[in-house]
Amino acid sequence: MFKKMDTALRNLGVAALFFVVVLLVGKNVGPYNQSQIAVALIIFIGVLSINILTGLSGQLSLGQGALMAIGGYSCALMINNWHLSMWIAIPLSLVSAAIAGYLLGLVAARLSGPYLAGTTLLLALALPTIANRFETVFGGETGLSIDFGTPTQWLSGIVSQDSFELWQLFVALIFATVSLFLTCNLFTSRSARSWRALRDHEPAAELMGINISRTKTQIFAISSAFAGVAGALYGLRGLVGPSVFGIALSLSLLTGSILGGVRSILGAGIGAVIVVFLPDWIGKAMHPFALADQLTNYLPALLSSLLLVLTIVINPGGIASSLYALARRARGNFKK
Amino acid sequence: MQTFLNAFFTGGSRGAIYALVALGLVLVWRGAGLINFAQMGQAMFSAYVASTLIAQGKNYWIAFIAALVVGAVLGAAIDILVIRPLKKKSGSAILNSPSMREAIPVIASLGILGILQALAGMIWAGDERGFPAPVSTSAISLGGKSAPFTPFDLFVIGTVFAILLATSLFLSKTSVGLAMRASALNSEVARLSGIRTRSIRTLGWVISGAVASIAGLFITPATNIAPNSLDLILIVGFAACVIGGLDSLMGSVLGGFILGFTTSFIGVYDVPEDIFIAIFAMLILVMLFRPQGIFGSKAGRRV
Amino acid sequence: MLEIKELSVSYDSVQAVSGISFVAETGKITTVIGANGAGKTTLLRTISGLIAPKSGGISWNGSEIQGLRPENIVRAGIAQAPEGHAVIAELTVEENIRMGALFRLRKNRDDVRAAIAEMYELFPRLAERKNQKAGTLSGGERQMLAISRALVSRPQLLLLDEPSLGLAPLIVEQIIQTVSALCRETGLTVLLVEQNANTALEVADHGVLLALGKVVASMPAAQLRADESLRAAYLGY
Ligand SMILES: Nc1ncnc2c1ncn2[C@@H]1O[C@H](COP(=O)(O)OP(=O)(O)OP(=O)(O)O)[C@@H](O)[C@H]1O
Ligand SMILES: [Mg+2]
Repeated sequence: MFKKMDTALRNLGVAALFFVVVLLVGKNVGPYNQSQIAVALIIFIGVLSINILTGLSGQLSLGQGALMAIGGYSCALMINNWHLSMWIAIPLSLVSAAIAGYLLGLVAARLSGPYLAGTTLLLALALPTIANRFETVFGGETGLSIDFGTPTQWLSGIVSQDSFELWQLFVALIFATVSLFLTCNLFTSRSARSWRALRDHEPAAELMGINISRTKTQIFAISSAFAGVAGALYGLRGLVGPSVFGIALSLSLLTGSILGGVRSILGAGIGAVIVVFLPDWIGKAMHPFALADQLTNYLPALLSSLLLVLTIVINPGGIASSLYALARRARGNFKK
Repeated sequence: MQTFLNAFFTGGSRGAIYALVALGLVLVWRGAGLINFAQMGQAMFSAYVASTLIAQGKNYWIAFIAALVVGAVLGAAIDILVIRPLKKKSGSAILNSPSMREAIPVIASLGILGILQALAGMIWAGDERGFPAPVSTSAISLGGKSAPFTPFDLFVIGTVFAILLATSLFLSKTSVGLAMRASALNSEVARLSGIRTRSIRTLGWVISGAVASIAGLFITPATNIAPNSLDLILIVGFAACVIGGLDSLMGSVLGGFILGFTTSFIGVYDVPEDIFIAIFAMLILVMLFRPQGIFGSKAGRRV
Repeated sequence: MLEIKELSVSYDSVQAVSGISFVAETGKITTVIGANGAGKTTLLRTISGLIAPKSGGISWNGSEIQGLRPENIVRAGIAQAPEGHAVIAELTVEENIRMGALFRLRKNRDDVRAAIAEMYELFPRLAERKNQKAGTLSGGERQMLAISRALVSRPQLLLLDEPSLGLAPLIVEQIIQTVSALCRETGLTVLLVEQNANTALEVADHGVLLALGKVVASMPAAQLRADESLRAAYLGY
């Protein structure tokens, strides 16, 4: 019991520290980087949803972008049609993504690796056509426009009224912090232990009395809830549409997850930062060379895919697992 | 009636192309146990190479062969550079769990798709370009009335049938084909029999890459090539495999034809936007009620 | 001559074979007997190259073969009929046999044809079921097929893993006699792994008793067979 309290407190501390550090950094960079940090925070939540699903339970979804889209569209529809406040719409879109994820999970629980991967990828690819099919509701190719609105009055002490970018960062940070706290608790919870058992040895997990298909469905729903929040926030940046939630988004979430480390929360953070900032870094590095547009346009995609494949071949645990290994070795040396 | 026949023949030639894609996927699946999402990336790349050759004034058939070779080489490269090293890595912590051992190569294949698309974008500026058909793509006229099919439809259907026949003869009648089947069915017994299963698996990648390239060439006269223009075809091919039976070669091929007809009839009688919804629904229904696929054998499914 | 030298093999945490040594003489039948989990299958899989040993060596006709891939071990003349009558159920009987000779096909087409014909002579029941799927065979026929698949590569050393598993005594007798005749006539070396000690020791020249991954006794088969105390202690009868 006390131990449980301890970890909860520790996780709370981690989350608080995260909040303060990101906010301080955010306040001290320019508007462009503020909005980039906001995107990284949103992608962080998305990558967490993959790390929960794939890292904890071993189920692979290639269409996490589709679940983000469900969150995004729900949020946009609620704000535009029902004029709900964003603070209500975002949690509600979490619910709708979780329901969708639950339904998908019902199917997914019966599917093994390749089937699940292909089906989720198909879902991600089919989504734009659904948006076109019901154009009056979903706005077709163009999509629906929404935004974060203006900072609430009482917050203007923290966020200055005139900076849209900082406001965006602030809202994303709140949800990212809550997600971080919840994921930390999830990763150390007892359920996570049985999920890992499921991931590592399904027959043994079954013998332990774990209801395989119910558990898989639950995990799918939980992971989708995270994806839904990420999707709602991602859309609130300005637009909810097929082009926003394309297959490229699913792939960059997956890339972030693998690069950072699919089994680690720290990894999700590292991965999100890499995925979001890599194009900027490449741009900076390549600037002196004045390359042709046709090269610079595709360089980020090339490098991130290359990094993905190299990570898988060389170090499938991702950056986080190497960091942990280093830390362990350092601690070992210290003890000696 | 005319509309029906049109839809029928379009469905046939489209189905033939899907069947090729499905064949390519199944060849790798049976040998290596993974769905190769990079496959249409290989096809796209070889279609670009072929279109470049044709733009330089080369003959269609030279371009055709070049595309085949590029697809095959890419297939071998993926296996040797990425998939083999992964197999060796099975000691690392993350690859210890069976679910991750399945998932990781699939993610790698997506990464390879990303690499190929980005490279194609860099080399060919990402411009969409057309690709000629070797024969006319406008309807034949028979006695003043236009027939419901084009010479290109017939060409596609004929070539695909020839390829399917050749593949099945190769697998069932030759010793290399026997080695391929044995390695896919039980690689341990195959190795104990002296079969070099690693090389045989690479051969599967090679054939799959070549077959996919043909599919790419056949689809491109209808839709222009762009780095990501073949993604959707791959997904249809995947659905075809699952619907027909991922472990059954002929099942997947039939699945391809089923989807060809379905999409064609929906496109004609309903709206094209419904195509993906229909495919998705079919896929889910088959997976729920007949997970081994319509034509797969009961025990066939690998879990 | 096959020489096992201080061989140890382990799975993640379990040590299955711990420092065993023995010799299987050319042209003789050597049998390795032991209870469930003694490490017999592990030993054969290691010889065939399916598992890498942790330490120790395996020498075959004077050259070290540990660490070679299974497909090269077969080429060196060592064939195995694995545990559980392993054949490929989805292939026909003929294809299963042909599979064992594929690697020799390019150099020696005629001899391969002859070898396949010999297998049908050896086990006429297989000839009648040539075009049947191996999955439809009875247990005994499947074991005959597994042995034929191994023999068709014309090995100098045949590794047999519990050919008696789940078979009626009569069939076991027939299979074992066939193998022992082959040994006498062609100079084939056999390493026979068995739980069924009586049958195995009857035909074998040399016996090795394995318990918990260690060699407890290695002596002429007749002597091992006569040793009541060893049998009572390790085989339970
Ligand atoms: N793949 C494996 N992973 C982990 N441990 C294994 C594996 N295979 C065998 N073992 C263990 O190694 C030991 C020896 O097994 P082995 O199969 O070699 O025994 P055996 O003598 O062939 O038994 P049997 O007569 O039942 O076939 C056993 O304790 C077994 O549990
Ligand atoms: Mg055994």
